[in-house]
Amino acid sequence: MTNEKSLLAVFSDLEPAADAIEQLRHLGIHDDCMNVISGVPVTEAMLGRPHQWTNVPRLAMGGAILGMATGIFLAFVSPTSYEIQVGGQGFAPVPVSIVVMFELTMLGMLLSTFLGVFLDSYFPNYRPMHYVPEVSDGKIAVLIECPQADEQKITDALKKLGAESVQMAEAQHL
Amino acid sequence: MSDKHQHNPEEHFREQHLMLDPMPRGKMNDMVMDSMNTTSWKFWVVFAILSAVVAWGLFYSWGKMILEGLGIAGVNRPSYWGIFLVNTVFWIGISHAGTFISAILRVFKAEFRRPFTRAAELMTTFGLVQAGFSIFMHMGRVWLSYWLMPYPNQRGLWPNFHSPLSWDLLAITTYLLSSTMYLFLPLIPDMAMARDRSTGWRKTFYKILALGFRGTEGEWTHLRNAMNIFAFAIIPVMFSVHTIVSWDFAMATRPGWSSTIFGPYFVVGALHSGMGAVVIVLGVVRATMKNMKYFIRPEHFEAIGKLMLIISMTWAYFFFNDYIVQWYGGDKWTKTLLHFHEAGPMGWMWFGMLICNIAIPWAVLWNRKWRSTPWIVGTVGLFINFGMWFERYIIIPVSLSINRMPFTWRMYQPGVEIPLGIGTLAFFILLYMAASRLIPLIPVWEVQEGQMAHTLTKFGRETVVTVSELE
Repeated sequence: MTNEKSLLAVFSDLEPAADAIEQLRHLGIHDDCMNVISGVPVTEAMLGRPHQWTNVPRLAMGGAILGMATGIFLAFVSPTSYEIQVGGQGFAPVPVSIVVMFELTMLGMLLSTFLGVFLDSYFPNYRPMHYVPEVSDGKIAVLIECPQADEQKITDALKKLGAESVQMAEAQHL
Repeated sequence: MSDKHQHNPEEHFREQHLMLDPMPRGKMNDMVMDSMNTTSWKFWVVFAILSAVVAWGLFYSWGKMILEGLGIAGVNRPSYWGIFLVNTVFWIGISHAGTFISAILRVFKAEFRRPFTRAAELMTTFGLVQAGFSIFMHMGRVWLSYWLMPYPNQRGLWPNFHSPLSWDLLAITTYLLSSTMYLFLPLIPDMAMARDRSTGWRKTFYKILALGFRGTEGEWTHLRNAMNIFAFAIIPVMFSVHTIVSWDFAMATRPGWSSTIFGPYFVVGALHSGMGAVVIVLGVVRATMKNMKYFIRPEHFEAIGKLMLIISMTWAYFFFNDYIVQWYGGDKWTKTLLHFHEAGPMGWMWFGMLICNIAIPWAVLWNRKWRSTPWIVGTVGLFINFGMWFERYIIIPVSLSINRMPFTWRMYQPGVEIPLGIGTLAFFILLYMAASRLIPLIPVWEVQEGQMAHTLTKFGRETVVTVSELE
């Protein structure tokens, strides 16, 4: 939308950033219109932010189920096509099948966990994005989408709360 | 505590503990980048020598063996398994240290792990690469290795999933993929840090590997969740890998191998050699790389030294348990084998194993001052690795040298295995050296996170360290 502005406020510490988020809410900015960028993991509780949704555990579970199904297929179904008689054992004895099922379950779970991070985070993403490199120096950046009319009011409020800088956020190549 | 430190305990704590000696994040980033970008001529000399050793030991010798056949190796009746499999077990053992340090210590929130998790995880991945090479060498006709994979074919070939060797393929593949992913996930934020501070080809390299990471709430949440899942799930995978390796031996009903305790005995042995290798690597990194003395301190060697002592005691327990049950059983061939281990031509190796794995660690690591001294702990780590290699040599070719048919008895004499073994060792070091120039060896964000969680609190007149749980 043309009357929407993106602001990027940089804070040196966690406390003023948390205060700023609270103040932004009082100024009518919804939580969905804010994003916090940091160089260390900062929990939602520290910043008073709503819980972040992640699909990673569900994807991990799905991968585990898929892996186990592959293990069951290899251990119990494939021997019917390629019959191998080993030391008087049955074609698909349970003890040896447990090993195959375990390894493939874990492989499925870990692969899908890894891919889950890619899917949920939209990795790899080499398009221009809102970012300030100071974040990896320990600063905390708050990215705000706000109506153009409120820009000055928000900038003043953030500076008053200790923002080191508040600038128009421009998407740039990282 | 000295008088000075008694008056100023905070200063004492800062000198001792990285977590209580915070620096601005930007400064730590610069230190890590500086350590990667500063390369002396000595580095390139060692790099060139190792490259030559790899070219000769690994590629030339392997090529020669592929052309001439396994006959130039020493494996022959009755020792069909030789140094190739000794090295396979050895390198898989080395790889266990990364997971142990990174996953188990992460799960138990052992804070001292923070600066060296990546150094240990790299060992896992590079160790598994050498293990893979060693297995392929043992296979001989390596170009047919795809026969191990289950794929529909008209020849009726299918992997025998009843065999521990097939389980090995599944377990090692799972472990190699998992440990590489587990190495990469916490590396993403550090790649982003490196991207923000680089120019030229390095910028492109880090930009690609950082995947566009910015550090948004969502990205951290997904990453943290994934790392937690990995930390818990990779532990049973690690245990399964060396247990399955032990089953390659224990599933055979032959003296010295058929043992119900081989699984945990092998896992503990893997941790023993892995931890020994970690202290060697940390000692070298600290001594040779710029700014590493800030990140890797005597406290870390002290903590690992304690773990090494505990693991050495556990290994001794398992070894004795395995030994006495076989000795007590009274089976003729088992007794013959045990006697051959101790008093045969390789008896020096059997005693060397006990000295390196038990006597030396126990004699040194009980002393706090000694185990806080990097070169002393590193030397103990080196002895442990000799001891653990000896252990695998005794279990495999020495134990195979004699059997229930005395007319086949013959000592194993390695051939091309020696240059190939040297080649894998050189390749491991070479990969590590290359990684130290390209990958931030210190997970800076994890160090900063730890420093944020640690504070000094006064209880009465005493100053103590307190750790907050930030997750």
